[in-house]
Amino acid sequence: MSRSSRGRFAVVLLAAVYASAVLAGFLAPYDPVEQNRLLAFAPPTRLHLVDDSGRLHLRPFVYALVPRPGTFDVYDEDRSRPYPIRLFPNGASYRLAALIPGDRHLFGVDEPARLFLMGSDEYGRDLFSRLIHGTQISPVAGLLAACLAVSVGLVIGGVAGFYGSVTDQVLMRVAELVMAVPWLYLLLALRAALPLALEPIHAFLLVVVVIGVVGWARPARLVRSVVLSARTRDYVLAARSFGASDARVLRRHVLPEALGVALTQLALLVPQCILAEVTLSFFGLGVGEPLPSWGNMLAGVQRFHVLASYWWMFLPGLALVPLFLIYYAVTDVLHRRLVLRSP
Amino acid sequence: MTRYLVTRAVHSCLLFVAVSALLFLFTELVPGDFLEELRLSPAISASALNTLRERYGLDAPLTVRYWRWIQSVVRGEFGFSLLYERPVGPLLRERAANTLLLTVTATVVAWCLAVPIGAWSAGRRGRLTDRATGVVVTALLALPDLLLALGLLLIAVRVGGLPVGGMTSPQYSTFGALHKAEDVLVHLLLPACALCLAILPTLVRHVRATLVETLDAPFIQAAKAIGVGDRRLIYRHALRAAANPLTSLLGLSVASLLSASMTIEAVMSWPGLGPLLLTAIQARDIHLIVGVALASTCFLLAGNLLADGLLYLADPRARTESR
Amino acid sequence: MRENRPVTARGYPLPVAVALLLGTLAFAWAADGGHARAAQAEEFLVATHEVGRHGGQLVVTQRSEPRTLNPVIVADVPSREVINLTTGDLIHVNRETQRPEPALARSWTVSPDGRRTTLTLRRGIRFSDGDPFDADDVVFSFEVYQDPKIDSPQRELLSVGGRPIAVRKIDQYTVQFDLAEPRAVGERLFDTVAMLPKHRLEPVFREGRLAEAWRLGTAPSDIAGLGPFRFQQYVPGQRLALERNPHYWKTDRAGGRLPYLDRVTFVTATSEDAQVLRFQAGEADVLARVGAENFAALERDQASRGYALKDLGPGLEYSMLFFNLNDLTEAQSAIAAKQRWFGLTAFRQAVSAAIDRDSIVRLVYRGRATPLAGHVTPGNRLWTNGQLRAPARSTARAKELLRQAGVRTSAGGQWVDAQGQPLEFSILVNASNPVLNAMATIIQSDLSQIGLRVRIVPFEFRAMLDRILNTHEYEAALLSLGGGDGDPTSEMNVWLSSGPQHLWHLGQKSPATPWESEIDRLMRAQATMLDPSARKRAYDRVQQIVADDLPFIFLVSPNVLVGSRRDLGNFRPAVLEPQVLWNADELFWRRPSPGPSR
Repeated sequence: MSRSSRGRFAVVLLAAVYASAVLAGFLAPYDPVEQNRLLAFAPPTRLHLVDDSGRLHLRPFVYALVPRPGTFDVYDEDRSRPYPIRLFPNGASYRLAALIPGDRHLFGVDEPARLFLMGSDEYGRDLFSRLIHGTQISPVAGLLAACLAVSVGLVIGGVAGFYGSVTDQVLMRVAELVMAVPWLYLLLALRAALPLALEPIHAFLLVVVVIGVVGWARPARLVRSVVLSARTRDYVLAARSFGASDARVLRRHVLPEALGVALTQLALLVPQCILAEVTLSFFGLGVGEPLPSWGNMLAGVQRFHVLASYWWMFLPGLALVPLFLIYYAVTDVLHRRLVLRSP
Repeated sequence: MTRYLVTRAVHSCLLFVAVSALLFLFTELVPGDFLEELRLSPAISASALNTLRERYGLDAPLTVRYWRWIQSVVRGEFGFSLLYERPVGPLLRERAANTLLLTVTATVVAWCLAVPIGAWSAGRRGRLTDRATGVVVTALLALPDLLLALGLLLIAVRVGGLPVGGMTSPQYSTFGALHKAEDVLVHLLLPACALCLAILPTLVRHVRATLVETLDAPFIQAAKAIGVGDRRLIYRHALRAAANPLTSLLGLSVASLLSASMTIEAVMSWPGLGPLLLTAIQARDIHLIVGVALASTCFLLAGNLLADGLLYLADPRARTESR
Repeated sequence: MRENRPVTARGYPLPVAVALLLGTLAFAWAADGGHARAAQAEEFLVATHEVGRHGGQLVVTQRSEPRTLNPVIVADVPSREVINLTTGDLIHVNRETQRPEPALARSWTVSPDGRRTTLTLRRGIRFSDGDPFDADDVVFSFEVYQDPKIDSPQRELLSVGGRPIAVRKIDQYTVQFDLAEPRAVGERLFDTVAMLPKHRLEPVFREGRLAEAWRLGTAPSDIAGLGPFRFQQYVPGQRLALERNPHYWKTDRAGGRLPYLDRVTFVTATSEDAQVLRFQAGEADVLARVGAENFAALERDQASRGYALKDLGPGLEYSMLFFNLNDLTEAQSAIAAKQRWFGLTAFRQAVSAAIDRDSIVRLVYRGRATPLAGHVTPGNRLWTNGQLRAPARSTARAKELLRQAGVRTSAGGQWVDAQGQPLEFSILVNASNPVLNAMATIIQSDLSQIGLRVRIVPFEFRAMLDRILNTHEYEAALLSLGGGDGDPTSEMNVWLSSGPQHLWHLGQKSPATPWESEIDRLMRAQATMLDPSARKRAYDRVQQIVADDLPFIFLVSPNVLVGSRRDLGNFRPAVLEPQVLWNADELFWRRPSPGPSR
C-alpha cells in the first residue's frame, strides 16, 4: 500500500471511529449501563460453530451462561440450547446523537443468553458496549485537550522563537512556571468551586479544557527551538529583504517547520490526555459512573484481584492501541500535507 | 556568558518564589486540610483536634504560614512534613534519589537504544524492516505506560521470582553493602523495564523523524553521491544536523526526569517523588507539596538550561543574536 | 545445765544470735529501701494459650508510616498499632471475648455506687528499661492524660460528667479512682490507656515539652514501656523495628516468659494491593483489613503459597447512605428545596426499601458481608439488637412509601413532589474507594428502578469531608464508619444530637426531631447505668429508633478478613481492633524461620 493510500485509509478509519461514537447505540449490542447482576465478571462469550451433536451451524452461536452454585465468578455453559447470533435484533432503546431514537442493534442474541464479546465487569455490564460508548467521551475529550495545548503552544512557541531576546525570555519563563506547578492540586480547588448540580461529565470536560490550557508549555518549548533555528535560514532572510512583514514570514516560512513538531506532539498528547483521566478519576475529577469512559475502565484494572483473575478487563485498554495507531497515521498524513506539501 | 547565567539564576529564584507562593495561595482555595480525616474519628474530641491544629500551625493566617515556611527553608529544612513527621529536605533528597535511580537508568538505556534504532530505521525508510519497526514502536507508544506497568506486574505475580514492588526487601538493613546493592538492582529491574519501554517509542520516533528529514536534505544527497557510507552518513553528518530538536528532546528528558515515572512508581510502589506528591496532595501536606514541586522545578530548569546550552553549541543557526 | 541452753555453732547463745540476725536484717531493710523493693518477686500474668517456641521475627505491613511513639498524643492508626505493642494498660479488653480482663492491675473492686474503683497492681513489674512500675507511675500517667495543656486525645474519654477522674495513690501497689458520676463503661475505661514511666517522662512533663517527646528519631534507650516489645530501630521510609521486652510481665503455662517473637518489624506498603502483593510473595507474615475481592484472589493460591486466610464474620464497620438534613444558608436554596423530601421519614424508608442489599453483598463483597438493619452489627456480640432485621428489597413497598411521602408521577413518568419538582438527587462518594463507588453504582441502578434518578458525584476524600462537615454543600453521601470498642459510649459522638459526628445534621443547639431527642435521653442515660441488662435495653431501643427513622440508611457490614503464614502459632484474630496483633505476645513460629532472606 502506498503512503498516500495508507494515509487515506487511516483518515477513513478515524472517521469511522468518530462515526461509531455517534452510532454507538446501534453498534453496541447492549446498553452500557445495564447491569446483569448474575453475570458479574463473566469471561468473553465463546462463539461456536459446531454444536454438541457434531452438527455444523452456518451462523455462529453461543450458549447461555449459568453461574456455578457456590461461586461468584465461575460460569458454565448451558448446552441445552444454542442461541445463534442475530443481525439487527431489537434490543435496549437508545438515542443516536441524543436525537434519533431507535432500538435495533447491529447484532445480538436472544434472551436470556448474552453476547459479551469482551466479557463483563463487576456489575455484569458488557465491556464491549461500554468500549463503544466510551468513544463518545474519551477520544473527544483527549483530542480537545491535545488540540488546545498544541495550538496555544504553537502560537506562543512561535512568537517566542521568532522574536527572540526579551519576548523569548519572558515567554519561556512563564512556560517554566506553568510546567513547575502541580496542576492536580489546583484542579481540586476548581472542582470544589463548581456547583454540585453540575453533571460529572460537564465537570470533566471543564477539567479537560484546563488540562489543555495548561499543557501548552512543553509543545511551546519544542516549537520555539525549531523556530529559533528556522528564522535565520536563508529563505527567511531573503523574504525579509523583500520587505515581507513579520506575520507573513512567520506564517509562510517558519510555521510549516514548527507545524511538523507540533503535529508530532499532538499525536503524543492525545493518548496522554485520554489517559490522564485515569489519575483524574482517582481524585474525583473524572467522568462519573455509570457513564463509560476509557479512563474509568482502565482505573478499574489497576486492582490486584483484577490483575490476578480477570484478564479480559485488560481488553478495553488494548483496544486503545489500534486507535492510537490511527491517530499517528493521521498525523503523518497531516504532516505530509501541510508541512512537506506532498500529496 | 556569565551575565546570561546570572540572569538565568535570578529568573530561577523568581520562579521558585512564584511557584511556592502560588501553591500556598492554592491552599486557601482547595477544600479540606490535613486534619480533616481525624474529624470522623469518634476517639478524638473537637478540643483535642483544635489543640492539634494549633500545634501544627494550621490556624495561622496565610502570610504567617508562608513566612514560617521561608524561615524553615533558610534553616535548611525546606519545611516540615506533617504527614511524615520530619523535615522535608532529607525526605525529598531520599525520594528524589530513588526516582533518579529509576529514571536515569531507564533514560540512559532508552537513549542508547533509541538512537541506533531510529537511525537504522531512518536509513532503511520505506522498506519492510522500517515499517515493521514502526508498527512495533507505535504499538508500544500507544500502549499506555499504566497498562505496561500492570502487565509486567502481572507477569511477575504469575511467574514469581521477581519482587513485586518496593525498592528493598524487609531485611534490607541487615544486609552487607554488596547484598544491599544487589537487592536494589533486583527491585529496580521491573520498574526500569517498564519506564524504558514507555519512553523509548517517543525517542525512536523523534530520532527517526528528524533523521528522515535531514537525510532528504541536499547536502546528504550530495555526500551519498560522492560515496560516503550509510553509517558514516547518519552518524557523522545527519545526526549533527538533526541536533535540533534532538537536543531539546534531551533537555526535556532531563527536565522530566523527576516526573516521567510517576505512574510507574505508583503502580509498582517504587518509593519516589511521584507517589510522594500524590500522597501529599491527598493529605494536604502543603510543605511537602511545595517541596516536591520545587525539586521538580530544579530539574526542569536544569533540563531547560541544558537544552538551551546544547542548542547554542550544536546549532549555530539558533544563536539568539538580535535582528 | 549448760547443755540445755541452745547455742549456735560458734558458741553464741541463740537468743543473742537471733537478735543480731534480726538487727542486721532491720538495718539492711531500713537502709536499702529501693533494693528491697526490687527484690520483690514478679507477679506474672499467666496466659492460657498453647505453649510455643521462642524465636523468629514477624513482618507486618501498614498503609502509611507511623508518626510517633508517644502514647499521649498519638492520633493515627499506624502509630497506635506500634504503641499497642510497646505499652501496657491496667485493665485490658480481651479482643476475642470482648470482655475486660486484668492486665497490669491484678484485681480491682468497685464501690456499690459505681463511683470508686480501687485497683491492686501486680508487684515486681518492671518497665522495659528495668525500672520498677508502681502506683506512682499510674498517678503520673493519669495526670498527664488529663492535662488540659497537652489536650491528649484520650482526655475526653477519661473525663466523666465534665470533671476529670481523681486518682489517688493508696499505697505502693494500690490506686483509687474517683469518678464524678458512675460510668457504665466501667473498667473498659482503662483499656489502651498506656502506663507511662514517671522516671523518664516527669522531667519533660514539668518543662511542658511532653508533647514533643518520644518522636520516631528518639534513641531506643530513652523510651520505656510495659508492652511485650520495645522500640529498637527506625529507618525513615523503610522500617520500624521492635525487639522483645526482656521484662515483660506475662508467662505461658510452662513458665516461659513471653513474648515468643524476637522481633516485630513494620514496613509500609502504600495501598491495600501493595500489602496483598507483599503478603502473597512471603515478604509479610500477616495481613489485616483485606478487601473481599483481594481475599478471593488470594484464596486460589492458599495451599501452594503456604498462607492461611480467615473470614471472621461481620466486624464493627457499617456503611450507610445519608441525606443532608443540616440547617442551610440562603445560597444553598436548591439543596434546601430537596430537604423537603429528605426530611420525610417515608422518603428515606422508600429509598431503603428499594436498595438491593443482597446484590451488594454478592457483587461488592463476594458474599462476605452482612446486610444491616441498624448501626450495631452482628459482629458486636455484646450489644447487637437481635430483633432487628435488614429490610428485604421490595420495589412495590418503596413505591407505596413514596406515595405516602406525597410524591406522584408526572406526565413523563417521573416522580415529582407536591410542587412539581422532579425527584432526583446526587450522592457524594469518595473517589478513591472502589468499594463505596461500587455500592453507589448499585444503589443508583436500584433507585432508577423505582423512578428516582440519582447522580453519583465522586469526590476527593478530604474535599468530600469538607462538604459534609463544614460547608454542608451536598445532597446525599455514602460513607462507612465503625471500629473502636463496640461499647455504646464509644459511639456517643455520632448519636448525640450535639455530637461532632452526628453527620446528617451537625451543630444542633437542641434536638431537631422528637426521635433525636429520645436518642439523646437514652444515650445519656445508658452512660451511667450500672445494670448491664437495663443498659442493653436502653441501647436496643436506640437501635430500634435509628432503624425506624433512618437518619442513616444502613447498607452492609463487611466481614473481617485476615491472613497469616500457616506456620504462625496462636494466630487468633479478632473482630475488634487491633485485629491480628492484639495477642502479639502469644504469637510464635512453629518451625524455625525459613530462609536466609528472612
